[in-house]
Amino acid sequence: MSTAMFGAPVRRHEDARLLTGAGRYLDDLGHRALAAAFVRSPHAHARVSDIDVTAAAEVDGVVAIFTYEDLTGRMAEPLPLLIPHPALHAPRTAYPLARGEVNHVGEPVVMVVARDRYLAEDAAARVVVSYDPLPAVVGLPAARSARHAVHPDVPDNVAAHLVQAVGEVDTAIAAAPHVLELDLEIERSASTPLEGKGVYARWNSDEGSLRVYTSTQASTSVRAAVAAKLGLPLVKVDCIAPDVGGGFGVKIVHPWPEEVLVAWAAQRLAALAPEGIKWTEDRWEHFVSSAHERGQLQHVRVGFDSDGRLLGLDVTIWHDNGAYTPYGIIVPIITSTQLLGPYKPGAYRCEFFSLYTNTVIVTPYRGAGRPQGVFAMERTMDAIADHLGLDRAEVRAVNFIAAEEMPYDQGLIFQDGRPLIYDSGDFAATLDKLKALVGWSDFQAYREQARAAGRRVGIGLACYVEGTGVGPYEGGHVQVETSGKVMVATGLTSQGQGHQTVLAQIVADELGVDFDDVEVTTGDTRRFGYAVGTFASRAAVMSGNAVALAARKVRQKALRIAGEALEADPSDLEIVSGVVRVKGAPASAIPLSTVAVLSNPLRYAFDEAAKAATQFAVGDTSKPPVAEDDEPGLEARDFYSPTQSTFANGMHAVIVETDPDTAEVRVLRYCVVHDCGPLINPMIVEGQVHGGVAQGVAGALYERMVYDDAGQLLNASFMDFLMPYASEIPTVEIDHLETPSPLNPLGIKGAGEAGVIPGSAVIASAIEDAEGFVIRRMPISPSELFELRASYAAGRVPGLRRTSGERTDPRTRPGHSPDNDSPDNDSPDKET
Amino acid sequence: MRISGTATLAAPVERVFAALNDPAVLVRTIPGCERLEEVGQGRYRMTVNAGVASIKGSYDGEVALTDQQPPSAFMLRATGAGAPGTVTADVAVRLVGEGAGTRLDYDADAVVGGMIGGVGQRMLTGVAKRTAGEFFRAVDAVLLAGPNGAGDLPGVAPDRAGDLPGIAPAPAPAGAPRVFSAPQPSVSDGQQRWMMLAGFGAGAFWAITGVVVGFRLARRRGR
Repeated sequence: MSTAMFGAPVRRHEDARLLTGAGRYLDDLGHRALAAAFVRSPHAHARVSDIDVTAAAEVDGVVAIFTYEDLTGRMAEPLPLLIPHPALHAPRTAYPLARGEVNHVGEPVVMVVARDRYLAEDAAARVVVSYDPLPAVVGLPAARSARHAVHPDVPDNVAAHLVQAVGEVDTAIAAAPHVLELDLEIERSASTPLEGKGVYARWNSDEGSLRVYTSTQASTSVRAAVAAKLGLPLVKVDCIAPDVGGGFGVKIVHPWPEEVLVAWAAQRLAALAPEGIKWTEDRWEHFVSSAHERGQLQHVRVGFDSDGRLLGLDVTIWHDNGAYTPYGIIVPIITSTQLLGPYKPGAYRCEFFSLYTNTVIVTPYRGAGRPQGVFAMERTMDAIADHLGLDRAEVRAVNFIAAEEMPYDQGLIFQDGRPLIYDSGDFAATLDKLKALVGWSDFQAYREQARAAGRRVGIGLACYVEGTGVGPYEGGHVQVETSGKVMVATGLTSQGQGHQTVLAQIVADELGVDFDDVEVTTGDTRRFGYAVGTFASRAAVMSGNAVALAARKVRQKALRIAGEALEADPSDLEIVSGVVRVKGAPASAIPLSTVAVLSNPLRYAFDEAAKAATQFAVGDTSKPPVAEDDEPGLEARDFYSPTQSTFANGMHAVIVETDPDTAEVRVLRYCVVHDCGPLINPMIVEGQVHGGVAQGVAGALYERMVYDDAGQLLNASFMDFLMPYASEIPTVEIDHLETPSPLNPLGIKGAGEAGVIPGSAVIASAIEDAEGFVIRRMPISPSELFELRASYAAGRVPGLRRTSGERTDPRTRPGHSPDNDSPDNDSPDKET
Repeated sequence: MRISGTATLAAPVERVFAALNDPAVLVRTIPGCERLEEVGQGRYRMTVNAGVASIKGSYDGEVALTDQQPPSAFMLRATGAGAPGTVTADVAVRLVGEGAGTRLDYDADAVVGGMIGGVGQRMLTGVAKRTAGEFFRAVDAVLLAGPNGAGDLPGVAPDRAGDLPGIAPAPAPAGAPRVFSAPQPSVSDGQQRWMMLAGFGAGAFWAITGVVVGFRLARRRGR
């Protein structure tokens, strides 16, 4: 481990290539391929009464036009339900092309294949689809009312209903000295990667094989899904994720209709499309036909004691899952379990309803249900603190699970079907670091100073725990070539996170080679056929440990072979900068490249290295050149499969300023303390945190999906969907805590999603603190804050106790009388 | 999407009402309208050519004038579909005599679907509100031009102007549906005209269509 790359802020391997335009994204491939375009539903809910392709077929250059009626075999079946769950009692998935009914604007109805995209779009424009519109179910209130149904055989629009409980929550709350109730709302947003989806498929008629390139987070599973849909042997299908311009969750869904349709058409039209068929999603398509997330309504009922300690927590969630449930109910499951954060809830009960609406599907977007859960819990923490007149940080601290209580079993079942057991973390230490970083205790002085200058400022904080590195497994393959180069492959994909760099750092250390000699390939089924995918902040944990284990195997083999060559005991050997040498006698050495040569006894001397190999006679000539339990080559593969997720955590604090006139919200400081265990590459971890915070701020202040009552997405372009620029994102101040996970060899925990998770919660906390009235709904725009001020002034929005001067710390109040007298007691100002 | 507005016309309320229910007037004042085919009492199939500058597209739709309460109110229900999307608009029109002239209130409830719905919504209300007045002024101009004044209107060929304010339908065999065609407006006129149509609620669709087609083209050029 003399190179010590693990922990070094190494610059990213991939950047030179990506930043100089040498990246190869989906649309950079297949220039001679035919192009596909899709006719998509303009209606949120309608029956398709007729499709007339006559005029489209007349367009010169059109090769084929497909409707549902043309689909054969398993292509005519609904797309798979990827993650079934017993609570998902009414799962529905779409057909690749609409079969008689459309359930959201953007649903594909017809596929056109033409010589190029221009012609394909022209022809698509000439397809006449006749619709009989049906009533659209838009928004959670409409879905809950069930006046109309999205799917006629699901009249209540409820796709799933799940209750998890620990302890007797009703009893606990009934006995609690204080009870509050909160109604909360969080709106939709979406991953919006810069590169949308895209797929390019080519059928090889000579081999009877298919190659699929797709902008995905799960190439092995796309491969399996396409093979299944087309009835092909798995070995006849390759799937490759080329450079992918961001995923953030949306590309974990698979197979998308376009993935199976383009692959199917490539095979079917092979004679006409020798260079394959390609489809690249445009921005409008991405908005209306990929996936969104976040939209939930929540009701919280909490009982607590006079220190703010939770005694009972009862949460009901209504989750908008859009028109179909191909990815199951992962998002609401995560919300309902990760809501608990670093706290002991006392008795806990969480019930959720996952509801159909005539909108685009809802699947994980970075954070994956956690931002909503953290919003619920942290709004509750702030409400408790204000109710009791206690410091917000203090109320959180009193509820923390202590470091010495780890591992801590929350008594619930997590999204991976395994017990929700926190493996590590020191929440009190994290909070101390955060308070120091943001200057929590000095803020009152700053507030007074600002107030004197006519400025309105507020501070907020929010805590989260994040299950990362979810199983079941990932694998790695490490091969030392005779050039000395180390080729590493893992099956999961990369969307720009820096996997090529961090995995190379790990392998360089494990093997004792130079970082620059390690080359990593991800997401290519030709190189590694087994993988789960890149999601749930799992790539570093899963593939990092897998390549480490594989590298250890290679190291062992290298030491054995080198020991034979050097006539030394392998335990006396070390590998430094790609050279195996005897410890303390560095002159006695053999390069790894030579060991690689020795590992493969050859008959033919086709190059210098091979010449060397044919001349060496390693070991006993009475034994076979390759021992019975051995195989040629200096390579190995291994898998890492954990018993459960590992839980990272963090806390954010933010200082905002709200304009007294325009209600514009400005983030003055954004502080993050994050614990993902030992950092493989601090620069990359901080980059991940920065990106996450940017999306968190975006979701809190700017982004939302605006549907009208008819189910039309009104802001389906970057003209109207306010993705913030760098100018809106504050400088992010970061401190780390590194409590290792006991669950994996490297002790690491995931970091990919962390930054986004508490965004809405922490900014709501700070705005509330600045304004003096409660914030229950995010995101918030200046107009909405302006309106809230008016509502507050008119007495329609409750104010905070701490700003209205009703500071009542029950601990110092004589009599200590319980104020558990009102079931809808979430308006602290009502009570004196 | 709701669009409401008010226009003041110089012509008396009876003539305004008649003009707005006269397909021959509509075919000439609905911008980009190439063809109106009467398919029933107060129901017309319509072909509208809409576009920005040199980019044009042809769209088919149906307009129904219902709930006639001459001369004070009627409903206009328009549905249409073209490549970039769909529209359904219910427009309530109310007319009140005001002095010698007419005060007209319209209240349109439009659902604009497909790509237009997602990309062009923001501009629509503003454009429609601003141009609504222009549309009604054009109708007013037809009326003020009088029975023999059609020739003064840009784009209206005098030889086809019959007993105005309506323009005589093209001769049709007995029993065949009446078909009204509009002469092509000049190019510079075209944009103006369909922008005016936007003001009439139903026309919003065609306006956005043109805008969106423009965006799509711009985007493609950028590729």
